[in-house]
Amino acid sequence: MFSQENFSKASTMVLRMGTDAHLYDDPDDVNISLLLDSKFDSDKCEALKRLLALIAQGLDVSNYFPQVVKNVASQSLEVKKLVYLFVLHYAERRPNEALLSINIFQRDLGDQNPLVRAWALRTMAGIRLHVISPLVLVAVRKCARDPSVYVRKCAANALPKVHDLRLEENASAIIEIIGILLNDNSPGVVGAAAAAFASICPNNLPLIGRNYKRLCEILPDVEEWGQIILIGILLRYVIARHGLAKESIMASLLPNISLNEKTGSESDTDYLGIKKKYEIGIEETELVGMVSRSYLAGQDKYLSVLDNNSDVMPSEHVSSLFTSSKNDESVKILLHCTSPLLWSRNSAVVLAAAGVHWIMAPMEEISKIVKPLLFLLRSSDASKYVVLCNIQVFAKVMPSLFAPNIEDFFINSLDAYQVKSLKLEILSTIAIDASISVIFQEFQDYVRDPDRRFAADTVAAIGLCAKRNPQVAKTCVEGLLTLISPKSNNCGFADDEAVVLIQAITSIKDILKQDPASHENAIIFLIRNLDTIKVPVARAMIVWIAGEYNSIGNIIPKMVPVVLRFLARSFPSEPIETKYQILNAAAKVLLNSKGENFDTAKNTLSYVLELAKFDLNYDVRDRARVLRKLLSCYLASSGIEEKEKADNNETEIPVLLAENVFGENMKPSTETVNNRFYLPGSLSQIVFHAAPGYEPLPEPCSLTESDMVKGLEGPGQTEVNDSDVDSGSLNEEGSYYSEDSVTASTRTDDESATSETGNNNNNNSNNTDSLISFADVSKPQEETNDVSELMSEGALESWLDDGQGRSQSQSHSVDERIPSARISIGDTSARIKPKIYTLLDPTYGNGLKVEYKYSFEASTISPSLVSVDTFFQNCSSDPMSKLILTDEDSESVDQGSSESKKDEPVFVPMEEITALEPGQSIKRVIHVHFHHHLLPLKLTLWCNDQKHPVKLRPDIGYFIKPLIMNLDAFSQKESQLPGMFEYTRSCSFTDHLAEVASDDKDGDMSSTKDSFLIICQSLASKMLSNANLHLVSVNMPVDAHLNDASGLCLRFSGEILSNSIPCLISVMVHGNCFELLNASVKINCEETVFGLNLLNRIVNFLAEPRLTS
Amino acid sequence: MLQCIFLLSDSGEVILEKQLTGHRVDRSICTWFWEQSISQPDSNFKVLPVIASPTHYLFQIVREGITFLACTQVEMPPLLGIEFLGRVADVLSDYLGGLNEDVIKDNFVIVYELLDEMIDNGFPLTTEPNILRDMIAPPNIVSKMLSVVTGNTSNVSETLPGATSSCVPWRTTQLKHTNNDVYVNLVEEMDTIINSDGALVKCEIFGVVEVNSHLSGIPDLTLSFANPSILNDVQFHPCVRFRPWESEQSLSFVPPDGLFKLMSYRVKKLRNYPIYVKPQMSSESGTCRLSVMVGIRNDPGKQVDSIVVQFRLPHCVSSANLTANHGTVNILADKTCSWSIGRIPKDKAPQMSGTLVLEEGVEQLHVKPTFQVGFKIMGVALSGLKINKLDLKNLPTPAHKGFRAQTEAGQYEVRS
Repeated sequence: MFSQENFSKASTMVLRMGTDAHLYDDPDDVNISLLLDSKFDSDKCEALKRLLALIAQGLDVSNYFPQVVKNVASQSLEVKKLVYLFVLHYAERRPNEALLSINIFQRDLGDQNPLVRAWALRTMAGIRLHVISPLVLVAVRKCARDPSVYVRKCAANALPKVHDLRLEENASAIIEIIGILLNDNSPGVVGAAAAAFASICPNNLPLIGRNYKRLCEILPDVEEWGQIILIGILLRYVIARHGLAKESIMASLLPNISLNEKTGSESDTDYLGIKKKYEIGIEETELVGMVSRSYLAGQDKYLSVLDNNSDVMPSEHVSSLFTSSKNDESVKILLHCTSPLLWSRNSAVVLAAAGVHWIMAPMEEISKIVKPLLFLLRSSDASKYVVLCNIQVFAKVMPSLFAPNIEDFFINSLDAYQVKSLKLEILSTIAIDASISVIFQEFQDYVRDPDRRFAADTVAAIGLCAKRNPQVAKTCVEGLLTLISPKSNNCGFADDEAVVLIQAITSIKDILKQDPASHENAIIFLIRNLDTIKVPVARAMIVWIAGEYNSIGNIIPKMVPVVLRFLARSFPSEPIETKYQILNAAAKVLLNSKGENFDTAKNTLSYVLELAKFDLNYDVRDRARVLRKLLSCYLASSGIEEKEKADNNETEIPVLLAENVFGENMKPSTETVNNRFYLPGSLSQIVFHAAPGYEPLPEPCSLTESDMVKGLEGPGQTEVNDSDVDSGSLNEEGSYYSEDSVTASTRTDDESATSETGNNNNNNSNNTDSLISFADVSKPQEETNDVSELMSEGALESWLDDGQGRSQSQSHSVDERIPSARISIGDTSARIKPKIYTLLDPTYGNGLKVEYKYSFEASTISPSLVSVDTFFQNCSSDPMSKLILTDEDSESVDQGSSESKKDEPVFVPMEEITALEPGQSIKRVIHVHFHHHLLPLKLTLWCNDQKHPVKLRPDIGYFIKPLIMNLDAFSQKESQLPGMFEYTRSCSFTDHLAEVASDDKDGDMSSTKDSFLIICQSLASKMLSNANLHLVSVNMPVDAHLNDASGLCLRFSGEILSNSIPCLISVMVHGNCFELLNASVKINCEETVFGLNLLNRIVNFLAEPRLTS
Repeated sequence: MLQCIFLLSDSGEVILEKQLTGHRVDRSICTWFWEQSISQPDSNFKVLPVIASPTHYLFQIVREGITFLACTQVEMPPLLGIEFLGRVADVLSDYLGGLNEDVIKDNFVIVYELLDEMIDNGFPLTTEPNILRDMIAPPNIVSKMLSVVTGNTSNVSETLPGATSSCVPWRTTQLKHTNNDVYVNLVEEMDTIINSDGALVKCEIFGVVEVNSHLSGIPDLTLSFANPSILNDVQFHPCVRFRPWESEQSLSFVPPDGLFKLMSYRVKKLRNYPIYVKPQMSSESGTCRLSVMVGIRNDPGKQVDSIVVQFRLPHCVSSANLTANHGTVNILADKTCSWSIGRIPKDKAPQMSGTLVLEEGVEQLHVKPTFQVGFKIMGVALSGLKINKLDLKNLPTPAHKGFRAQTEAGQYEVRS
């Protein structure tokens, strides 16, 4: 017969039969390699399962990678799935072997079965290899148009994976695909696209603007996970586009608004009334402001608005930041579409929807969120804590919101400790006159809870309630006193009980502070019970209370000296804390006593001081010594007369000091409020610090109409312009940006302006919290894409070419380790000819010709300014006078939001030229701060009181200045800026051809050497004439073949004027000396956007044929 | 988004890990987590759902002894992580018929396959149980036997479930049942707090409308209540359409197949509670006399079953001697005292009495335990919610409809 144990063993054996139990228990008891190579799918399956078991157990089995990858071609879906699981786990560690599988993935992408297509895409994107990212991007683009919803969803999910590789070249393509997917008909796809949007380009709000209304309407049908993200995105968009709702709680942070609104319609006055009703006391108003300010980006601006009381900023401007949630369609539709989501079964959705209403809904409608939030406390256990954390903030800002629902915060004995203490805090926040008695009744039960720590928290909560509602202070104190009464504190568990006792006295102390006179009886009670209270901290506090309030009422002044004498006698046996307080109390009594009491007090103090002098504790001795010195005038005197005499006797200082230290004008200790608030529902709100990647809401109305238009143009237009851009960028002469790229680059500027706030925030978060240092916070910068060429499909092809070019250049960097020779190309300065631009043509300017060139000299005014040499020439026959260049009228410039104004180019006014004779030419240096703006700067040229609008074209090559460094420093710096800080583009270079050809004609033996030199010289001079750089080195390979210029490498360094970030440029040449050379330009720069722009500029001017002069 | 998911056993062992993104999370984080939760046993670290570790933010839920741990390093809605882990736990427990260390280890391949379908790159992908079931077959006795006999069965579906592309993703397409039937069940939990004075502080119902549907095709159901106004707040399954509820408070939906929670609701401020518990304690000189009476207060009209009264003995109680005139009293190792009464007999009022011996030096008992009450009443919904009618449309053949109701004790507490 089986014993019970055997039976249960046997039954588990039976139950485990046919499962994978044996695989998990002994994964490597067979030869896995053999199984993997088997031709049967079942064997392969078993092997893969064993490997999976090993992974699950934390072992590294990446050595099987090559064998496993082979099986990706299997027809069995189960094998495929298992292989995918394995490959994804190890792909990053075995990139070369992972590449073997790419062909199969590409074949699978064309499979009939959508499941196969989806899996292939997921795995391919999940492998995360830089090399294949263009292939993945093509695949994603294809799958984004797949007939199967599931595949399209996977395509959306694949986008963040591609973006994770941080390839600048892909950014615009990714954003374009997001745009397509956001436009999808299927709600499931839209949800996934929203998630991709949030993780890739959360600040590219124009993309949302296009679809805003549709996204709102589709919101209820989106999957719950997508809803959570989409709600957040829509909220950001509405705030950036339309501003805050003026009826909302957020708007109440600006008092001047409400003043302006007073003259408004009746509904407005209604709203004011409600507002007043909701805000109780000044403290709360401040808190509201604080909370709402901390939700928003660019808080400082609003602070200044508050501080200046609308003197500086016209109130119309402020109110333009607000919209109306009652009248504005966009806000209304958002609120309307999110309100049914408050019924979602997913607590995250409910909280996200509640967050929208909290921020945008009119005050009187906020109560809508109360019931759903409270329901969450019951319906989902796991999220209870998080929901409570959020309710706590809501309740602090608007206690009236939750006031009718106190019983939802009553404690259940099974609640976790954290939940209990949160509930207590909320209860004490929302307590009002009507509910306070019920709450106290509850608190009485809590105080008797077996968990004494919780009981102590309750006592603290009682104290808080009394402070907030002074009218109940008396009841509170009475209740607290019962806890102190002798019969309750002799419980054996002294430690546990002491916590409650100490907290009770602390709470009483806090309540007393507010109005000591009215609690005379409580003080008396405490003093009477002094003898029974043994806990040192508690005892010390009572002595402090006795000393502090020794002159209140009639009885206390008589009691305290007696008590003091009693304490003085027991002084040596008291614990240290109490000793301190006895000393203090004795001093305080002395200062307050008059007449005969003075003598008693003096005697007591002297006695205590004498005892303290011989105390074992040095701190007590020191304090006694200080007191003795401080109060020497009192101690020495024998009565009031002498005390007064002492006052006159120029010993005022110690007296004043003593009065200040022990007198009644003590500074009340300021309560530390946790003033860090984060958006509702965010992780940061729960952990009380800004988590990496946390972003507050965008600035209200920071997204203008023009941003929207540009945003729309961006990805939309490129498809049309593909060919233009491709051909145009290379051939365009003079200006290196075509009309098309102007739109794109402006967009960059706007985005970088918005992204700056995001970055600042990131920095802040890093400052405030070093808990997690994480390099992978999605920096909005990288999303910004400026190069319009890259936005098109054609660009992808060119990228592919580039990729090859880059791999070549990588192989060359290997070559470099083979000895290479540094060559000197001698003085190139003679060949450097900066390009001269025309500012004003004489035909338009009545004979005035103005030309300018960028100067290599640093500006004399500020290092961040670019200096431009400007030549004024009078080509006419009449003299000219009063020539001056000024900034264009500011009003026409200042159309955008005031934020962007900060970044507008600044033009330092030029010295006026009083007269210009015919034929005369005068040079002036003007200084401009471009802030990396690549748009032409509009200036006005005044001449003879005539106005000529002119455009100053910025040249990014001069936004930098030479940074002198040697080759070692260069390569060291270069190695610090890998990966995402490195960009490469190639172009052709022809400048040298003419010279080489002419040299060749001479037929010298040294022609090879010369042609190398010529190439170097022409390259260097071309670079240095067009950009303000320092030539670090020129290297050529030693084993250079005849006429083969490949391997020639020029390095330049510079630093960005505005922020001194170094920028390293290497130009690598390939090809035959006598033919068109292929130059690949590489930039290493931390400032990614700048680096890319500079790279484009360099490639453009290198490819530009030399002007034959 | 989430970077990694760990499943930990109740002894802190990592049962399995699933890396979700390229930012690999080392499993040493689990060691850190476990050491923290062991080192602070009383601070309820284990139940804190959001933890900031030195390197990662952790989300955790604990289900039947298994800790589900997810890591992230960036800002994300914490509830998204928690809800998702909850969903994973639901699905796993549904697949494996409960959760424990062994059953997860036995079916680790299925767990991996499920996780892979449920989350992609740290963002939830397919969480709908119906679709998952079509994609990855749950283990069942037939497949187990088959795999023993033939050594080969695949539990991975060869085709993509049609529901992924339908507008009702929760419903499997092309369903055929020979017997069409649908059951609606009101399952209510009563939360009550009775304070030390014996006064009712809070009494409310947390209810769920469970529907078990076996209907062919794509049926369209409408459920309406006779008294929807008593509902304080509601939460819906995604299948419920919002419009009809907003306008006429009726539930219109296309149901998933099988058992699901159509809606949960709350009814507040009730007056009547079925069971009273009257504890009395008096202590002197180191011992405490305890007597607890239990009885029916407001007769619900149906038999009250499986009555249990539980409480935790305070720390300072060293031993207890408790007996009851009806039912059995058990004192467990963690000082939980459980008195199972079952049904209340007609002839006598159940009473438990006895003495608690306090630890040395403790004269009187000042802390008061809270009594948790459990019961079950079949056939009645104590909230008073009444189903008016259930309309079925778009059905090939008429279906059988059934309605039931039951009430259990939720957080039913009596303070002493």
